[in-house]
Amino acid sequence: MAVFVIVGLGMNVLVGDTGQISLGHAGFLAIGAYTTVLLMTRLGMPFPFALPIAGCVSALFGFLLGLPALRLAGPYLAIATLGFGLAITQIIAHSALFGGHMGLVVPDATLGPFSLSGDVSKYYLIVGVAVVLALGVRNLSVTRVGRAFRAIRDNEIAAATMGVDVAYYKTLSFAVSAALTGVAGGLLALMTGFISPGVFTFTLSLMFLAMVVFGGLGSIPGAILGSIVMGYLNLEMDAFQELPVLGRALEDFSERFMSTVGLPNFGWVVTGMLIVFTILLEPQGLYGLWIRALKAIKRSKSADANSSLPGPGAN
Amino acid sequence: MTFFAVDGLTMRFGGLTALDNVSFEVDRGMIFSIIGPNGSGKSTAFNCISGIYQPTAGEIHFEGECISGLAPHLIGRRGIARTFQNIELFGTESTIDNLMLGRHQHMKSGLWSGVAMLGSASSAAREEIENRERVEWILELLDLVRVRDRPVGELPYGTQKRVELARALAMEPKLLLVDEPSAGMNADERAEVGVRMRELRGELDMTILLIEHHVQLAIGLADRVLALNFGKPIACGAPEEIRQHPEVIKAYLGDG
Amino acid sequence: MLLQVLASGLSAGSIYALMALALVITYKTTEVPNFAQGDMAMVSAFIAYMFLTDFQTGFIVAFGAALVFAFLLGVGFEGLVLRRMRNPTHLNLIIMTLGFTLALFGLAGWKWGADQRRFPFPVSASEVVRLGGVSVSTLSVATILIAAVLMVVVFAFFRFTKLGIAMQATQQDPIAARINGVPTRAVVGLTFGISSVIGSVAALLTAPLITLDPTLMWDALLKGFAAAVLGGLNTPVGAVLGGYLLGVIENLFGAYVSVEFKSVVAFLIIVIVLWFRPSGLFGRHHERKV
Repeated sequence: MAVFVIVGLGMNVLVGDTGQISLGHAGFLAIGAYTTVLLMTRLGMPFPFALPIAGCVSALFGFLLGLPALRLAGPYLAIATLGFGLAITQIIAHSALFGGHMGLVVPDATLGPFSLSGDVSKYYLIVGVAVVLALGVRNLSVTRVGRAFRAIRDNEIAAATMGVDVAYYKTLSFAVSAALTGVAGGLLALMTGFISPGVFTFTLSLMFLAMVVFGGLGSIPGAILGSIVMGYLNLEMDAFQELPVLGRALEDFSERFMSTVGLPNFGWVVTGMLIVFTILLEPQGLYGLWIRALKAIKRSKSADANSSLPGPGAN
Repeated sequence: MTFFAVDGLTMRFGGLTALDNVSFEVDRGMIFSIIGPNGSGKSTAFNCISGIYQPTAGEIHFEGECISGLAPHLIGRRGIARTFQNIELFGTESTIDNLMLGRHQHMKSGLWSGVAMLGSASSAAREEIENRERVEWILELLDLVRVRDRPVGELPYGTQKRVELARALAMEPKLLLVDEPSAGMNADERAEVGVRMRELRGELDMTILLIEHHVQLAIGLADRVLALNFGKPIACGAPEEIRQHPEVIKAYLGDG
Repeated sequence: MLLQVLASGLSAGSIYALMALALVITYKTTEVPNFAQGDMAMVSAFIAYMFLTDFQTGFIVAFGAALVFAFLLGVGFEGLVLRRMRNPTHLNLIIMTLGFTLALFGLAGWKWGADQRRFPFPVSASEVVRLGGVSVSTLSVATILIAAVLMVVVFAFFRFTKLGIAMQATQQDPIAARINGVPTRAVVGLTFGISSVIGSVAALLTAPLITLDPTLMWDALLKGFAAAVLGGLNTPVGAVLGGYLLGVIENLFGAYVSVEFKSVVAFLIIVIVLWFRPSGLFGRHHERKV
């Protein structure tokens, strides 16, 4: 799940902060995963080296995708990134180098003297990386580069007249976003022990977008929270029938109207509906709800202050 | 060397000629005003100067260098800042962050120094603090201290216009392009605008290129005036001359 | 051999052209690229399947049901969801269609599972006719003919019927149309309905070719977008031409270069065309005014 958080951070940089769109981020996840595995199996590279290099390779692809993105806006960009994601999976699926449809097994990894074959050590590593990356992303967003990203999102032309090299920062945003997602891919490979093109689907890319939309575009805590919620949903898809109260109801419903074997797809229904309702009701997602809650609290507090203090009104 | 010169500037969009052979010169420290009825090409001229449009013909020179055709961010970096007729702020950002964008070209922190900002001793942090202090005086000058941290999208129109100006000033420009600063204002507010422009020129030694639809304000402020109509220059000279110029009067009252 | 490739190119291109047409029709009216178009069509195909297998009806009833369902789905999505959006920015609209497509995909998978099913069709994919030295499957012939007829009908509808002209007016200038008494809100809903129907026909022609499962229309959706982009997102004729062109180019690539990477061609085309002509081959560009 922490893997999804890292992807969420990456999506937030590109979509939330810089205002671009990507429907193909599963492609970067795949690039990161396959590069990591191939470096380990073909070149015998240890995992701690393979992972950052995979991130760099992914960043390079991000930069390459960012170049045409300079001339594309809105729907055209969405379509181009959609094509990118599908093309990557196609190339992987048809290439012997990448193990084709059969996929690749991930070798055991070590971090210096520590073996990373146990679930616990993997977990600590992934969470640790996620925390470090989250800090880095947060730092970036409060400094010059982060401001430039948001300026491009809010008003590209004004940003340019103020000395922001829009082309540079747009491609940088793609590269950073791709790097984060690529690292997540390497960690995913470590986590699952096996990668195949069937993992990196269009629906996965949509889930990535859903994570940041639901969490709140442009908000780092929102992205993290949204990723956790949707990541959990995604991971639990095979076990819906085991939910406390809802599980039985879903099973019965499935038996009567749908199919029990297809119950895991309920997760996609929920993800899709969350997007729909987020856009309809609170386009700023969880972060937006949080802001509204804060405002409501402030208003009731100043109402209290008004009623308890005499003299000229507060604020 | 002329501080700023426009020579034969022409801008065509398909069949429409928005600017037709416009030329003028601006000296350092001057307030130069461009007037003309709606659609006369004033904002188009600004867009050419700030690099948003590529001129169809003609040249623009600033401090001896030919800048026509350069990308907008390069022009910004050479010391030319502008405001927009329709407010073009970064709506979701706070006032101070809008101003900090103005500091963009004077700051250095990039990807790696930004990411590695650990504690207030790091170079990125020091740069942030330093630049925030530098723009404080602008907030005071334009009476924006109270709205320092509010998202500019929430501010009233007049305040937003001041933020636009403040943001341009944060760039520490040598030449300031101001596009219709008094749009949507009443007489009192307009007078304030006039005072403010003079302050900028006097205290900050700013050279100002001003588009102004309101003729009285433009004439009252400017050292020199250019009048446009349908993209063509119809008169250029001292304010008093322009005010009495028959073509100018016709343009405003006649078919302009 | 070349003619053979062209024939299969036209057949595939017919489907791409239909999808492209559906996408452009909604885009022109609402500036929404409907990413849900693929899965909306897929669900309609499943509806037909359900009628054929569960309810044991004939082809006409089943396909008719699919078309009706598609129409209602389109109108419903626009009226109940899109129209209710509080802040319909372009980004939000795109995301909304993506949410809808995800939900539809999930519903289809939930109801029918991920198994691949054989889709019964009146015309067989394996029977072959010989036309002028070329062997073409009967399904391909049917596809080309049906698609062509449908497109002619749609174009005629827009050109010659009162309703069609009203829809064109709404596309070009919604305010002027409304002033002239065109019920623009109904027109927009109708537009989504019609596109959905066109998309469902594409799905019904695709299903017998490959197998029926929830991912049925993903490829066609991408190709439809590629074709629309190639021709220009706001020109229906350009989009249709783009569809046929894409089908032919793709099959030429597959025959003479590499069969496995056929679909990558679509992506490359998108990128290359948009790099040189950001509004497509026939489209027009909007400049934002400051």
